[in-house]
Amino acid sequence: MPNTILVGTKKGLFLVHGDESRTKWEAAEPLLEGWEVMHAILHDGVLYAATGGMVYSPTVQRSQDFGKSWELAETIGLPEETGEKVQKLWHIEPGHEGELWLGGAPAVLFKSTDGGVTWEANQGLLEHPTRGKWQPGAGGLTCHSIQLDPTDRDRIYIGISAVGTWRSDDGGKSWQPKNKNVWAGFNPENEYPEWGQCVHKLLLHRGKEGRLWQQNHCGVYRTDDGMETWERLDENGLPSDFGFPLMLDPHDPDAAYVIPQIGAENRVTCDGRLGVYRTRDAGASWELASNGLPEQAYVSLYREASAFDSGSPAGLYFGTHQGVVYASPDAGDTWVEAASELPPVFSVEVAEWPS
Amino acid sequence: MAVVILPSLLAAESGGQKRFETEAATLGEALRTLPVAVLLFDEHGELRPLVNVYVDGIDARESGGLDAPLADAREVRLVQSVAGG
Repeated sequence: MPNTILVGTKKGLFLVHGDESRTKWEAAEPLLEGWEVMHAILHDGVLYAATGGMVYSPTVQRSQDFGKSWELAETIGLPEETGEKVQKLWHIEPGHEGELWLGGAPAVLFKSTDGGVTWEANQGLLEHPTRGKWQPGAGGLTCHSIQLDPTDRDRIYIGISAVGTWRSDDGGKSWQPKNKNVWAGFNPENEYPEWGQCVHKLLLHRGKEGRLWQQNHCGVYRTDDGMETWERLDENGLPSDFGFPLMLDPHDPDAAYVIPQIGAENRVTCDGRLGVYRTRDAGASWELASNGLPEQAYVSLYREASAFDSGSPAGLYFGTHQGVVYASPDAGDTWVEAASELPPVFSVEVAEWPS
Repeated sequence: MAVVILPSLLAAESGGQKRFETEAATLGEALRTLPVAVLLFDEHGELRPLVNVYVDGIDARESGGLDAPLADAREVRLVQSVAGG
């Protein structure tokens, strides 16, 4: 049973350890104190953290002793001829057969085949003929979502703000935009472009082939055909089309969870409350699933700051800019506060921590 | 011989070691041989703009930069710029 929440914050990585019930949690002293931790995962017994900040180089740090000591990756960078430099690293994703993937800004994707020591930039993205026209979202021109098809190692799905969702069918050598029916309401000249949508988070459901969900700047969407077409879902009962967090239930491909925010100009939760909304019918309807969450709250949340576990029922987790982490042990039926008074939460993951 | 002094965030990345003695001929060489060099330079080899370096109290950017010889220097101090939150 996953029992530890990895909370990446503006000032360090916090481990929040839980009991078997997933209702009692306790935050430990921070690791990587003082570092901006954009994302952290525990994979094959190694802790990886994407760190950065304004001053020092963005990098990946790894620990093979559960945070007691850390090693820096070799320089993570872009070839000089591109004229571009890595600005920020956002997301680490375990790949097939020991590979690791890493996304960041400016619209960069890296792969490591040596356990995170060295990282090679994905040329397919760097050389894409449309790259020169890509525009950033408020958080930068950021590759933040990386989803690997569990049955086809050549198929990779990524999300880039504000370039949209893209798919590779050749292991990342080439990329095709896959944004059909996804609205780009901020672009009145072309509201349904081939690319240029502002995806905020993209997740694949590993239990139903071809199914992915995305929380977008302009709506919540689901695809059942590997992103060939998208269906818009937020108009089926969500208070807003805008948000960042997205959670799934590994046991139910028809379930998804979002936390809508008012909109791009006012990025706080809707209706003055902290509202998690749940669908169990593939987005045909949504219900408020916020039992235990504050009923008066004006909260902002970031795109990496939500997670779900493999327990039964699924555990759900999210953190806020205000430094609070919430957990649900029962697929959203009830919530508890797992930690508070932390620095602003950038990312949330969950892991089985050795006792 | 000069001593390179790291700020606390970088010292933590060096196993807690804050001071490094160096016989390097230039400032750039001294910095590039530090265990935290990857955090100081970008992928094109340029010192990151918010990393300030003072050689015996003088801002290195105004006194020869990374190519400046360290022959007579006693102290190289790395200081995080005050920018940022």
